[in-house]
Amino acid sequence: MSKLETYREIFKECFQYDGDVEKLEYQQIEEWDSVAHMQLMAVLEEKFDIELDIDDIIDFSGFKVGIDILKKYDLVIE
Amino acid sequence: MELSLVDILATQRNRHPLLFIDKITDVSPGEYATAIKNYTYNEWYFPSHFEDDPNVPGFIQIESLVQTFLMTFLTLDGMAGNKTNFLKIDNASFKRKIVPGDVSTINATLESFKRGIAKGYAESSVDGNKTCSANFLVSVPSILETYRPK
Repeated sequence: MSKLETYREIFKECFQYDGDVEKLEYQQIEEWDSVAHMQLMAVLEEKFDIELDIDDIIDFSGFKVGIDILKKYDLVIE
Repeated sequence: MELSLVDILATQRNRHPLLFIDKITDVSPGEYATAIKNYTYNEWYFPSHFEDDPNVPGFIQIESLVQTFLMTFLTLDGMAGNKTNFLKIDNASFKRKIVPGDVSTINATLESFKRGIAKGYAESSVDGNKTCSANFLVSVPSILETYRPK
């Protein structure tokens, strides 16, 4: 499974969302609230073996923004 | 480290009639806590649950577990007095009734506490016999808020 597929699956599982996750942004759907945001961060850290900085967690406001943020951790999501 | 009822009140926000631990007999902040709860017929729920067979309602047993669990991380520096919310209860199991006169011992273990989300396990026993157990996921909203995307 590519990193992009893994990344998509993480969003789908965290939010139990079957729609187009690539368009998702924080609080755009009811399921992406502050609690789910922390769960998303925890799963990303576990799956990609990274530890996110506080500023990056706060800036992680959407699927696409997240891909840019993860580049800082030498993760190319494609 | 042992904590009295006054210490418990200073650490977490539950109050009578919804406080279900009497004393912390041992706590290692960030790791584990052990509590005791003495049940007497003076508890407000015994006359109605049930008149002919007084025993502790399941939701109160679960609450006593989670209140002990809260003490595993609210005893960390700077955490006392924070409000908490349930996120998830898994694998709740009840093995034996608790009746007036019983002394419940509750052991809680903190598996992780990160960015305002605590994960762990607690179980209670009376006279060495297991009564109830569950896994918990609990949040501290004031901490979660600090990580919320702007």
